[in-house]
Amino acid sequence: MAADPTYSAQKRNPTILPQTTSDDDDGGPRGRHLPKGRHGDRKFGNIRITILCGFVTVLVLRGTIGLSNLVSFEADAESQYLIEETNRIVTAIRSDDDPPDPDDENSPNSTSAFNLGPKIKNWDQDKKLWRRRNPQFPYFINGRPKTYLVTSSSPSPCENSIGDHYLLKFLKNKIDYCRIHGIELVYNTAHLDKEMSGHWGKLLQIRQLMVAHPEAEWIWWMDSDALFTDMVFEIPFHRYRSSNLIIHGYPDMLFNEKSWIALNTGSFLLRNSQWSLDLLDVWAQMGPRGRPREEAGKILTSSLKGRPALEADDQSALIYLLISQRERWMNMVSIESSYCLHGFWESLVDRYKEMMEKYRPGFGDERWPFVTHFVGCRTCASNGDYPVERCLKSMEMAYNFADNQVLNLYGFRHRGLVSTNIKRIRNESVTPVVNVDKFGIRNSLRGNKG
Amino acid sequence: MIGRLLGPRRARQLQRFVRNGKLTIFCLFLTVIMFRGYLGAGRFGTPEKDLDDIRETLSYIRNRAEPRRVLEEALMAAQGGLKSAENAGAGGNNYADFDMTKILRDEDDGAEELNRDPSQPYSLGPKISDWDEQRAEWLQRNRKFPNFIREHKPRVLLVTGSSPKPCENPVGDHYLLKSIKNKIDYCRLHGIEIFYNMALLDAEMSGFWAKLPLIRKLLLSHPEVEFLWWMDSDAMFTDMVFELPWVRYKDVNFVLHGWDHMIYGQKNWIGLNTGSFLLRNCQWSLDFLDTWAPMGPKGKVREEAGKLLTRELKNRPVFEADDQSAMVYILATQKEKWADKVYLENAYFLHGYWGILVDKYEDMIESYHPGYGDHRWPLVTHFVGCKPCGKFGDYPVERCLKQMDRAFNFGDNQILQMYGFTHNSLGSRRVRRIRNETSNPIAARDELGLLHPAFKAVKV
Repeated sequence: MAADPTYSAQKRNPTILPQTTSDDDDGGPRGRHLPKGRHGDRKFGNIRITILCGFVTVLVLRGTIGLSNLVSFEADAESQYLIEETNRIVTAIRSDDDPPDPDDENSPNSTSAFNLGPKIKNWDQDKKLWRRRNPQFPYFINGRPKTYLVTSSSPSPCENSIGDHYLLKFLKNKIDYCRIHGIELVYNTAHLDKEMSGHWGKLLQIRQLMVAHPEAEWIWWMDSDALFTDMVFEIPFHRYRSSNLIIHGYPDMLFNEKSWIALNTGSFLLRNSQWSLDLLDVWAQMGPRGRPREEAGKILTSSLKGRPALEADDQSALIYLLISQRERWMNMVSIESSYCLHGFWESLVDRYKEMMEKYRPGFGDERWPFVTHFVGCRTCASNGDYPVERCLKSMEMAYNFADNQVLNLYGFRHRGLVSTNIKRIRNESVTPVVNVDKFGIRNSLRGNKG
Repeated sequence: MIGRLLGPRRARQLQRFVRNGKLTIFCLFLTVIMFRGYLGAGRFGTPEKDLDDIRETLSYIRNRAEPRRVLEEALMAAQGGLKSAENAGAGGNNYADFDMTKILRDEDDGAEELNRDPSQPYSLGPKISDWDEQRAEWLQRNRKFPNFIREHKPRVLLVTGSSPKPCENPVGDHYLLKSIKNKIDYCRLHGIEIFYNMALLDAEMSGFWAKLPLIRKLLLSHPEVEFLWWMDSDAMFTDMVFELPWVRYKDVNFVLHGWDHMIYGQKNWIGLNTGSFLLRNCQWSLDFLDTWAPMGPKGKVREEAGKLLTRELKNRPVFEADDQSAMVYILATQKEKWADKVYLENAYFLHGYWGILVDKYEDMIESYHPGYGDHRWPLVTHFVGCKPCGKFGDYPVERCLKQMDRAFNFGDNQILQMYGFTHNSLGSRRVRRIRNETSNPIAARDELGLLHPAFKAVKV
């Protein structure tokens, strides 16, 4: 570009006022003369660069400090509103919006015997008569007595959503076991009796099912935090022909040590009989909310080894009952420990991998536990007795360990014991019945063959 | 000024240098930005994420425009993990704010995985042509598992499911729990078995298409099952007494709720509903599933199929192919091949759209009684569009959840009355006694006769 010699001259000569630019004029504020078009070009060029730079700045800012956070107040406000709405709705759903019952506040102070219901005296004969008259509702099918599995949970959402998620998964687990083994499943979500609140509610549920279903031979109570981890194992009912209560525990802990954890009432079976109705009536005496339960709690703490000071719970009450009225009840009770009718989770979950390598489903004992029971995790409440991560991870592993046994028929398996994804382990076949024969659990069970 | 210091030529050279320098710096900036875009950086955004955001916004607008029959992706999303709404807890025994993603891991346990050959066109499985014969032979050998429990009463498997991951919505799992309890109750009364699915069998057939591989797999693995009843997780039984009229279906293989004229006449995309249907376990059904599946594989196939369906079907908005529209299309265009074995039922609510039913429950209680299964007392109330497991903000949450509570209680009352209880009101969780207990329970009868109904009785 040629130097413009008039530049400095113009600057030094203030008397020459700048004129409007023209093609011929050498003037201009900077002294640089440009044709009009080129001046426009220059301006346009500047604007282009400005826009480009602005664009780059926006990109950089967006990447480093999140310009959207600065600019879109609307998006912020909206998400804030959503969070508040969510909390409001969830709180409304979790809370109980019924007006409190007038007699909720008054705990019964009477010391008169509590009744689970009107006294029934002839249940064994009535039941037999009914069964004779109604053969279309059999109490014995394919060599197995008709069993009702009952479990329950609260009608309100759990304190945390993860609690509901595991209730759902454990219920699916029970659905699978019951489908394979022909057991009727009852899931209760109603509080039937104010007095028998909490875990005591199971007594009323069991009694109710017994009297409503004479065709039921066994009522199997199972806690909502217990799941089946052996899909093949079946309760050996032939062993219990002269028993009315099948429960997991240790006789020496029960009678010698009088330990409060000698038995576990998280998973047990009661035969549908007069004996069981009588047992439930006696057992229920320590249950009613308020003074009866507190007083009973004191008795139990002083009588049973290791029991902390708590109001009466159904498990301690049963233990105390069987110890103190041994002659009346024990001849019809089977205390079982040869398989995990209840399997305490802590000693089992870390061994699942080893079990998968060494053993196979069907043992039902420590080699391949029948039931894994997550005592103390209390995922539906806000706090448990164990670290949350350990509980939830173990529950996921137990669920997948069991689910693998169900998926096996379909040729799939979980990717890993903590993975929700599955992978195919067997190709699709043009003769699927071969796989059904080979891998189907149901048709290979004793009593189902042929 | 600079000119004064350095002299005019130098000044100009410097200016030129600076101008070029600006360009150089500008180009450097651009390079850095491009690299960021490819390699990613920062928490907030890369240009690719911008594009994703834009795409998402557009599809959100598109979804909002959908009419009543909103598709539910009730089954799991195979792609991407679920972002937990809760932050990681500090450890300890408190369940609040625990982040499940800390636990769930896709670690492989080493067992060999078999994958479909991706170079082959998609198929649900190898072609089977003699399923009727194979099944008959199996039933012959396994007489303890007859496909008919009684004359005219087939063995039925009800299939439903949800994602194996926790719901995004904090009360979603609770509603799934209530929904499955409701199904457990109906099925126990009617002698129906349940399969609750929580597994995605085929990543290509994701979303609403996931039911197809599952149905085929279940039919082939359970030859004892005569009918498979698919039911969405957002559908509930509201008539516990109504037993399906099995005799009506003895000569058909596929029963759905819908209207003939809307399918064969209008090709209306909501002329039938695939949220609740019956499919017989036979060769015909396998062939139908094979015909149905090709529009399903996700990606380009599904997109293109979606465009075709929107063009061909009445009132269908623009979105990827869904199983329901595909079904309408197949029936309408291949009527001669399939229609004689397909029954479009509308005499009762095999599927009942919740919007027109839920406000009438109290009237129904006053005027009618369970057992009708139709508009007087619907068999199924289907909460189409509610997505109980999804995030808040997509739909009018409160109305959906409140009505689901009412529908649940409406059905639950029929179960509770067997034992002498009922809910305090349709909106209440609490129950009260309506029938005193007796010391002679053998003689007791429940009003609806559900304790020992005829449809539960077995062949003697």
